Amino acid sequence: MPLTLKTRFGILKIERRTGYSRIFSILMTITSLILAFLIVGIILALMGLDPAKAFSILFGVYVKPTLLLESIKQSIPICLSALGLGIAFKMNFWNIGAEGQLYMGMIAATGIVLLHEYYGLFQEWLLLPLMLLASFMLGGAWCLIAGFLKAKINVNEILPTLMLNYVAILIVEYLVHGPWRDPRGYGFPLSIEFPEYAKLIFLARNPAYTGLLISILSAASVFLILDYTRIGFEIKVVGQSIDVARYAGISISRIIMLGSFLAGGLAGIGGLSIVSGIIGRLRPEASPGYGYTAIIVASLAGLNPWLIIAASIFFGGLLTAGGGLQMNMGIPRSATQMIQAIIFLLILVGEFIKRYRVTIMPRGGRE
Amino acid sequence: MDSLVLLRGIVKRFPGVLANDHIDFELRKGEVHALLGENGAGKTTLMNILYGLYKPDEGEIYIKGRRVELKSPKDAINLGIGMVHQNFKLVEPHTVLENIILGLSDLGFKIDFRKHAERIRSLAERYGWRLDPYARVWQLSAGEKQQVELLKILYRGADILILDEPTSVLTPQETRMLFKALRRMAAEGKGIIFITHKLDEVMEVSDRVTVMRKGRVVVTKKTSETTKSELANYMIGRPMIFSAPKSEAKPGKTIIRLIDLEALSDRGTLALKKVSLEVRSGEILGIAGISGNGQIELAEVIVGLRKAINGKIILDGVDITNKNSREILELGIAYIPPEATKWGVLPDMRVVDNLFLKAYRYPPYSNKLLLNWRTMFKKAEDIVREFEIVTPSIFTKARSLSGGNIQRLIIARELSGLIGKIPRLIVAAYPTKGLDIGATEFVHKILLRYKRLRSGIIFISEDLDEILMLSDRIAVISNGRITGVLDRKEANIEKLGLMMSEALA
Repeated sequence: MPLTLKTRFGILKIERRTGYSRIFSILMTITSLILAFLIVGIILALMGLDPAKAFSILFGVYVKPTLLLESIKQSIPICLSALGLGIAFKMNFWNIGAEGQLYMGMIAATGIVLLHEYYGLFQEWLLLPLMLLASFMLGGAWCLIAGFLKAKINVNEILPTLMLNYVAILIVEYLVHGPWRDPRGYGFPLSIEFPEYAKLIFLARNPAYTGLLISILSAASVFLILDYTRIGFEIKVVGQSIDVARYAGISISRIIMLGSFLAGGLAGIGGLSIVSGIIGRLRPEASPGYGYTAIIVASLAGLNPWLIIAASIFFGGLLTAGGGLQMNMGIPRSATQMIQAIIFLLILVGEFIKRYRVTIMPRGGRE
Repeated sequence: MDSLVLLRGIVKRFPGVLANDHIDFELRKGEVHALLGENGAGKTTLMNILYGLYKPDEGEIYIKGRRVELKSPKDAINLGIGMVHQNFKLVEPHTVLENIILGLSDLGFKIDFRKHAERIRSLAERYGWRLDPYARVWQLSAGEKQQVELLKILYRGADILILDEPTSVLTPQETRMLFKALRRMAAEGKGIIFITHKLDEVMEVSDRVTVMRKGRVVVTKKTSETTKSELANYMIGRPMIFSAPKSEAKPGKTIIRLIDLEALSDRGTLALKKVSLEVRSGEILGIAGISGNGQIELAEVIVGLRKAINGKIILDGVDITNKNSREILELGIAYIPPEATKWGVLPDMRVVDNLFLKAYRYPPYSNKLLLNWRTMFKKAEDIVREFEIVTPSIFTKARSLSGGNIQRLIIARELSGLIGKIPRLIVAAYPTKGLDIGATEFVHKILLRYKRLRSGIIFISEDLDEILMLSDRIAVISNGRITGVLDRKEANIEKLGLMMSEALA
């Protein structure tokens, strides 16, 4: 039954659509993006800045090879977190803790490096595989806390995942101010710099290429898991309806825990890509909010793993452009966050319009 | 002036459907007018238009001879139209009195409860109802709640009454009481529109009947000048089979035995009380009762979706009490759940996903890790053909299938032996509820087919005609207790009705 709202301007009628085509969906997304940039342009113009110049800097990022590589580098943690969210959201598990899971991944990776550097554990060639494993496990465990609570005592996942972000960030603060501070770092809260063989540069000695390869492999894994494995099928069924999943004989708590672990693990690898690919050491505020951006990316891409790669690069570009905008036009860096937020809002509106048909009738008129 | 409602050329379109196609309809003073049709025939849409919930795209509405435009239910109520919906809209913790006067506009600052209570009591007595105005609604039976709904309307002075499938929640005795009251109201000059898809009720209570099919009025006739089979013909466009070909029961050995089974409802109250039953192979055991008397809990305990707190379930001599649903499935017990869209299918997943909702985890459809889509696709194509599921393809989302086809999909999934052999026991909970006649016949045919294949079948329904038609034996459940088990030959509606209301407070 349609919902009718009487407003000053007319009667709004909201009806659920029975279905929509893929083309309609893509058009809606594109429209959302165009509208977002239009709004940003208007805001810039109101601030007395030249929107055309700002957009040329912004989109120039995707054209100039060095900047494009930088954008790709920035996109890796976003992409990996968003792939994890792809799994979580398919399961109807509203993980907004990718940020914290990234930090836990960084801690795990750094921990392995320090064990090697301080205590001489592990051989050099073993370092990266171990860091990968450790960051996956710790990121996964971080998300599993919320998954466990949901599976066992039916705690809504949103608050635990969100709150654990702050816990993870503070643990990093503690470590770099305390036990993990570089002894020769003049007291700055930084870990030691990672040795070359602990950096993600095994492809063309470039973190962007290497990272992109990891993104693609991860996207392929997520695609395979969701569409071609029993676990993926079960994740989707649980996401659609807990009742039906129980009726189908699926062990719901097992799937929720497994799914949340996978989701957190992917974000954990994202953390590895930050310390090993982007910064080269652990420091506070190592992530400018990649984990939150990933939420936007995952919804923009409609949870499709391949589109997630593209959307992450787009957002990586926004981050990269932030620096250019600041230097050339004096636009504060936070303006890029505003752009992100506007895009996200419009995507949400677009999703609503995809699902519901809204008709406006003049007051008192017939349909 | 004896025309209360006159609808002329009513057209209502929804995206993709013509729900009402130039409908003419008249309700006269002092008549019970049955509106008969299958689900989706457009009855409810038409009544929602008359009640001001929808605006017609075309057409005219005359109430008591005056052309009107109904903008909302408020307009309809002011014109004396009242509607009793299928699901009651009452405030359960409040009293009957409070519910009835709720929303009255002329209550004044200080409400004179005693005066209203007196009036309500005498109004109720006029129709042979004994209702305490100070009783709390949650304490009332379904039949009494319906009386409150009717009183609510009558108290506002309505003389045009719309009743949407009013008997679906009533026992046969309560139904008879309702019909008596309706006749009385008609005798007082009110007009009653009685929406139903049950032919017997049309014959019993109505003066005239209008049959709708696919959004059109097929015919309007005096009830005395027509017959059940003629109406059925109008309703579905072909003759209907009133009694299924009864294959004489040659029940085999006992398949399942329930011993003193007890289980809790979702709210933690005792929903099953010492239930003992047995089902033999090649036998249909009907479970008769008013909805909500423990039927769903019974089904769920058997199929492993609910814990038994006492008692035992023995399948072919083996204790299977409190095994999980997966083990039960593997033992060959199939379950057709109630409320298909809540329990049975995932509307946003494809037909093939829904077909393999349970079988995906068994070979040859998957190994320990990976799914074998190619095998599933091929098998799904076969099943869609065999069970005559009407769908554009196996990749269509279940959402776009009709109710009848969704039920076919569920039945196909449960019974087609995807995980090996045909089921030993089938638990079917309200498998025909909400289905049109064609789909209902299909479900009956399938159940009889599996009976011939020697499956034991537990068939839960609230439609006694259907129970009597299909079952070999009938168990009546009331308030969580089995109040009796009858052989089909000794059962009739009257007896079942009495047993259904036994043990009710």
